[in-house]
Amino acid sequence: MSLQDFLILYASVLASMIACRCIPLFVLKGRELSPRLSQALGLIPAASFAALVANDLINPSAFVANPLQATVPFVAAAVVVVVARKTGSLIWCAIVGMVAYALLMMFF
Amino acid sequence: MAGTVPTKEDILSAFHAALPVMLGYLAIGLPCGIMESKVGFSPFMSLLFSMTFYSGAGQFMIPSMWLAGAPLYSVIASVSFVNTRQMLYSAAFSPYFSDVGKPLAFFFSATVTDESFGVSLDKFVTDGTWTPRRALLVNLMSMTSWTIANAVGTAAGPMLNLPLAVTSFAMTSIFVCLLVGQPLNRTTAIVICVAFVGVLACKLMGLSGPAILLGALAGVFAGMAYEVAIGR
Repeated sequence: MSLQDFLILYASVLASMIACRCIPLFVLKGRELSPRLSQALGLIPAASFAALVANDLINPSAFVANPLQATVPFVAAAVVVVVARKTGSLIWCAIVGMVAYALLMMFF
Repeated sequence: MAGTVPTKEDILSAFHAALPVMLGYLAIGLPCGIMESKVGFSPFMSLLFSMTFYSGAGQFMIPSMWLAGAPLYSVIASVSFVNTRQMLYSAAFSPYFSDVGKPLAFFFSATVTDESFGVSLDKFVTDGTWTPRRALLVNLMSMTSWTIANAVGTAAGPMLNLPLAVTSFAMTSIFVCLLVGQPLNRTTAIVICVAFVGVLACKLMGLSGPAILLGALAGVFAGMAYEVAIGR
């Protein structure tokens, strides 16, 4: 990648990122929000976490190529759910998740 | 908010919350830096990207799309589209920043990632002592960890070889933990199921880029529709 390409890329993605990260907060901050909007904002965490997890776990092309191996992230995630319920610890979940995933990949 | 200098308590509290994210970023920042070195990024370029643009998904996408021969405009459009999910995070934080000055609000919102969003929003909801200043510290600590790992990965380049699929599952596990911590009732169950189905549908239609944003929006709309239907 040339320096010119790098600079165009950097300036473009940085501008779009800052706009996405900052504009909604500055537009909504300090305003009296309607009950419906507050209700909707309250649903964002569950929706976002679910979408992030789904995005990491679901891989349609992997299911076509090797269905058994494609289930590995789901099984590892199920193990993490148990740890999360028992400990609520992000660190333990991250460690157990990586170990479970690595072990399962060795067998499938 | 009293004073502008964070107290020792602020730093310790933020560090405790940020530590899992920092460790995860060390693990995935290295392979990301290695990929960036393959398209000619210098450690300085990686530092610049990590300290300002600061997006794991975006920084992984750039070298992989470039190496696959995608044109520059396509890389810019795809990365920008994937980052639109940040609008949802920014909106979700707005109620907690109503009395916060513009500089703090800007630096906080400009440094939010998927992981720090999860950690800080959870703290705002469950921890009465959590403040925007502590949330900013979480962002900065996580960014420092990401930036160091990224620059080291770029400098060390092909000398390092980490199993990316395994290390990146640390982040997935953090999201799973945060999801499990959500209060479970009928509305959230609907939100979660529809968000999952939304992401699956996007991926089946080849819309992997905006899958997170569209899936999450579908979940929020479904949850709102249910609340309206039951007259809440």
